[in-house]
Amino acid sequence: MNAPEHKVVTLKPASEPRGVGARMPFVDGIEKVTGTARYTADLPAGGALFGKILRSPYAHAELLEVDISEALALPGVRAVITGDECDMPYGVIPIAQNEFPLARDRVRYIGDPVAAVAAIDEVTADAALALIRLRVRELPAYFSAAEARQPNAVPLHDNKADNIERAVHNEFGDTAAGFAAADLVREDNYQCAEVHHAMMEPNAALATYDAERGHLTLWSVTQVPYYVHLTLARCLKMEAAHIRVIKPFVGGGFGHRTEALNFEVVCAMLARAARGTVRLLMSREESFLAHRGRPESHIRMKLGMTREGRLTACEAEVVQRGGAYGGYGLVTILYSGALLNGLYDIPAVKYDGYRVYSNTPACGAMRGHGTVNIRFALESLLDSMAAELGLDPIEVRRRNLLQAPTDTINGLKVMSYGLPECLDWVEAASGWQARKGKLDRVGNIGRGLGMACSHFVSGSAKPVHWSGEPHAVIILKLDFDASVTILTGASDIGQGSSTIITQVVAEVLGIDYSRIRIIANDSAITPKDNGSYSSRVTFMVGNAAANAAENLKRILVAAAAKRLAVTEAEVDWLGEAASSLSNPDKQISFADVAEEALVATGTLTVKGTFTCPPEFQGGKQRGGAVGSTMGFSYAAQAVEVSVDLDLGKVTVEKVWAAIDCGFAINPMSVEGQVQGAIWMGMGQAISEETVYENGHHMAANMLDYRVPTIVESPDIEVHIVESIDPNGPFGAKEASEGPLSGFMSALAAAVEDATGQRFRALPITPVHVFDALNKKPRVAKPQAESAQGAA
Amino acid sequence: MKSILRLAVNGKPREDAVAENALLIDYLRDVLGLTGTKQGCDGGECGACTVLVDGKPRLACSTLAHSVVGREIETIEGLSRAGNLSRLQRAFHEHLGSQCGFCTPGMIMAAEALLRSNPHPGRDQIKAALAGNLCRCTGYVKIIESVEAASRAVEQAA
Amino acid sequence: MAALPDFRLLRPATAADAVRLRGEHPASRFIAGGTDLLPNMRRGLMTAEAIIDLGGIAELSELRVVDGWLHVGAGVTLAALAADPVAQARLPALAQAAASVAGPTHRTAATVGGNLCLDTRCMYYNQSEPWRHAIDNCMKIAGDVCRVATKSDRCWAAFSGDVAPALLVLDAEVLVLGAQGQRRVAIADFYRDDGMAWLSLAVDELLVSVRIPLREGWVSAYEKMQVRGAIDFPLTGVAVALRREGDTIADVRVACTGVSSRPELIAGLDALAGNPLDDAALALVEKQIKRGTQPMETTVINVSYRRRVTPVLAKRVLRRLWEAAG
Repeated sequence: MNAPEHKVVTLKPASEPRGVGARMPFVDGIEKVTGTARYTADLPAGGALFGKILRSPYAHAELLEVDISEALALPGVRAVITGDECDMPYGVIPIAQNEFPLARDRVRYIGDPVAAVAAIDEVTADAALALIRLRVRELPAYFSAAEARQPNAVPLHDNKADNIERAVHNEFGDTAAGFAAADLVREDNYQCAEVHHAMMEPNAALATYDAERGHLTLWSVTQVPYYVHLTLARCLKMEAAHIRVIKPFVGGGFGHRTEALNFEVVCAMLARAARGTVRLLMSREESFLAHRGRPESHIRMKLGMTREGRLTACEAEVVQRGGAYGGYGLVTILYSGALLNGLYDIPAVKYDGYRVYSNTPACGAMRGHGTVNIRFALESLLDSMAAELGLDPIEVRRRNLLQAPTDTINGLKVMSYGLPECLDWVEAASGWQARKGKLDRVGNIGRGLGMACSHFVSGSAKPVHWSGEPHAVIILKLDFDASVTILTGASDIGQGSSTIITQVVAEVLGIDYSRIRIIANDSAITPKDNGSYSSRVTFMVGNAAANAAENLKRILVAAAAKRLAVTEAEVDWLGEAASSLSNPDKQISFADVAEEALVATGTLTVKGTFTCPPEFQGGKQRGGAVGSTMGFSYAAQAVEVSVDLDLGKVTVEKVWAAIDCGFAINPMSVEGQVQGAIWMGMGQAISEETVYENGHHMAANMLDYRVPTIVESPDIEVHIVESIDPNGPFGAKEASEGPLSGFMSALAAAVEDATGQRFRALPITPVHVFDALNKKPRVAKPQAESAQGAA
Repeated sequence: MKSILRLAVNGKPREDAVAENALLIDYLRDVLGLTGTKQGCDGGECGACTVLVDGKPRLACSTLAHSVVGREIETIEGLSRAGNLSRLQRAFHEHLGSQCGFCTPGMIMAAEALLRSNPHPGRDQIKAALAGNLCRCTGYVKIIESVEAASRAVEQAA
Repeated sequence: MAALPDFRLLRPATAADAVRLRGEHPASRFIAGGTDLLPNMRRGLMTAEAIIDLGGIAELSELRVVDGWLHVGAGVTLAALAADPVAQARLPALAQAAASVAGPTHRTAATVGGNLCLDTRCMYYNQSEPWRHAIDNCMKIAGDVCRVATKSDRCWAAFSGDVAPALLVLDAEVLVLGAQGQRRVAIADFYRDDGMAWLSLAVDELLVSVRIPLREGWVSAYEKMQVRGAIDFPLTGVAVALRREGDTIADVRVACTGVSSRPELIAGLDALAGNPLDDAALALVEKQIKRGTQPMETTVINVSYRRRVTPVLAKRVLRRLWEAAG
């Protein structure tokens, strides 16, 4: 059979970016808008059994007996499992693994999984759960960090007698000297309620066990298929080689899915026990109980400042109510301290952090991991002190800027720093100088402006599972059809990572998108990837993709040289074609080049990798790797609010946000990420809050956990600053977490501008605003609450 | 107990034996395999299951399948024509009105109902029409822009 | 989430047939839009062997003016009522209340009858079966104490419909059909102050329609407090109807929702007739609202806020109507 003639395209120089820098729709977007995208619950699984989990109704109890005999006898039940099924504790941090997929000996929160069934249908599964009998001895339960830290409190975990999972104490620079040198020292307390990811897709898993071969396949909603894979191997005591993990379309994560979750392991164990296929669909309530969100935090913040507004020292104490298990907890409490640095030039920083166990669902990573609540405290106090000194909030921030490149006092590297440009744009766009403090009340509506800055890592420079492998690997396959297939383990969870990787490859190779396919997340096909968390994918996997594409391009240029009978240096690489520099009229098509490249070798697979060098992996102190990264994103934002002074209701009217993401590989996606991050910050700032009463989750639904609707959501104008990071792919850094943490204090400042009241507790709901506006005037310290007169 | 349900889904008349206690969402997903319609909450709180019943947006998770007997049901799968994206599908795709995509089918169906009755809605009208549909990724900014873009596309087509 | 219990679905064509079926099937329930009932059934809050779907009954969907009354069939959707030109022009409180319920995708299905008969709500009740099991339930379902007020011998679940307070200030009547025939009931008499039995409706009776007098000289409005701009049930909702004559109040009616087990028509405002809307008048409104409502800890939002903000909302609506009528 003769191959068709390869068409030669003569390329014109593109007027707009086609690869990186292009506002490209998502490569998997068409599936999403047509409803053909299959999420875990949508996967066809004829004959799958229906899985269901029995959860503890007790907040803290010794588990004396789980009697499943009646449930097992029920017709239609195929498997019933308990904590006996797995005696290997798991957890994402290798040194803090203390969770079992099904509780053994002890339950530690209301909702802790105790047993699970697989049955022929949902009704039978429900009936079986109702037949399982628990015998327990209840223990004292603690629903706040303070209760759990009482001297005689029963430890939740035997190895932590004081219920403190991790205490962090460190000091960099000389804070005592710093405070002594300050003209103004102020200290305040801040509180943040616990919040939850509330990603739109509820948790779900599908597992099939091939009993003949002893092989397991799991499809799940995860952000981290690799960690899930490791956890399955550990908990099921299976060879990793006998397990396959596939991530279909995932409906958001925001950190909820950055560690293996109990339902994934339970689904796999049920499939093995039933020797078949089990589908486990979690209700919205159960998704809330899996939690892993941002912990309730109590923060004491102390800052020293000169009359000119220079920060001299910072001292912070953070207590986080961590919930019942370790999870990411020790990373969260370390992040809070580490990222006090890296945004401003603070010469001395002392940090004391306490991660405390409690009888509530385990907290974990949530967008802006560990940095959000402490940023609220620091930026808020910065504003209050600036006001006291008569300094403009933007100006006081300008006086504390870093100069990149630099090393922070705790050993972090700042390689690029576009914060000054972010501040300039926000100041101009919001009309700051003309409007801050000058917005008039309209009837019973107060109006105000506030601003803040924030930052975040572009991937943790030292992954939690340190294996010595590169941080990221990409494989490109070029075959007879002259198509390029990208194989990646990076998890697209809606943030668009597959699109970014594709753009990078298209940019380097210069070829048409129609020639490129991307296959993501099937452990049987794609290379291992640590997963989508800590904003690592664009930076790390992006670099690996660029490396892979360059490696492939080198082979292609050599092939083109051979076909054109010129030296490699003489090849003019046009992407869809190649020609010789000396004879531009003679072109060969990409297909010709591919054909030549495959001669004598066949299908090409080319690898690209990326590794963070050791000098980027943080300070020498214990836990110093947390917060380490090769590139920090920077953001500034201004928030305008109106406040209904009768009802106490805060409405966000407009947000202006500038992001230094290094370089925008896809400006449209950057805008989307920034808007989403800021808006999620708004939810935490004004309406979202998990509420427990005696350990019962009172808001485990989308009515009482108030994710903002479109009605009260503002326009968010985004400006991109490109500082061109020396190490990021094409200079790119992260864009989707950093902007979140500035929102709360910017909002609090705007509310203060509108009402004269400074709120130090989140969320700033109508209840709190109403109470503050309607309280009796204070007799003592009349000036303390409104520091605005200083100007 | 099952009985015969006659209705039209995406323009095709159907006749299926469906349990009398079946929800519309379960009929669409489990019987017809139209999994574009999503379940995002425990009932009536998120809008991800929005479909059109005789052109009006309805929550398939809070509707009994047999209660829409004889009616015309439209789901996200029925919007594209001859394999091409509808104006709203194209706009959501090109303007990034969809990130993770899980709320997208419901969002697009609610917007479709709006544009059919009001081809050129203002921002407040768009917000009012999509008020029952939660999204956790976009902050809604690009969703509004997508609906506006689709509305302009109507104008050009007209 | 749990599946619906197994039931038969009956689809009568007339209201009389619906009532007859209800009599024939003791373990049955009516369903209209289903936006409240179906999520509640999925949480196991109620069960039935037969569900009687009212959606096929044409007479329940009538919306028309007859002899100076607006007749609204119980099956009229909230979207249709909110868009009705007569309601918008003559009974704005009613149109606004209908437009404020939940979200647009609810209102295309949810009906006037469903909103008037809406189950009372409480954070200890509107939960899944496992959740409720962990607190040994409450007296509204399978338990014996009220979790909101543990020493109370009654249930304090809050009525949270938006339409009822509008009908209260507009002096509406409901038409009820039972096996013995039909009866008209003043809307105020349709409700009882009991979270478990909040309707004066016998088990085999069907709410057929409401009618509202189209009176001259009245202005009205409905406003609710919610944390979000949509979807939420009212933390508190206030309907006000006012007839102003020159510089004095001729008649004023205020009703609240979300803050008691029934929608409350605020008593003791007759004294305002003949007075201007001055500070003293507003103070009396506030006093009577505080006296006439009793929000309890039925939601995660703090009760004292709901108690204090209800009169604030009412006074604001009243002042606005006063200006508009001047």
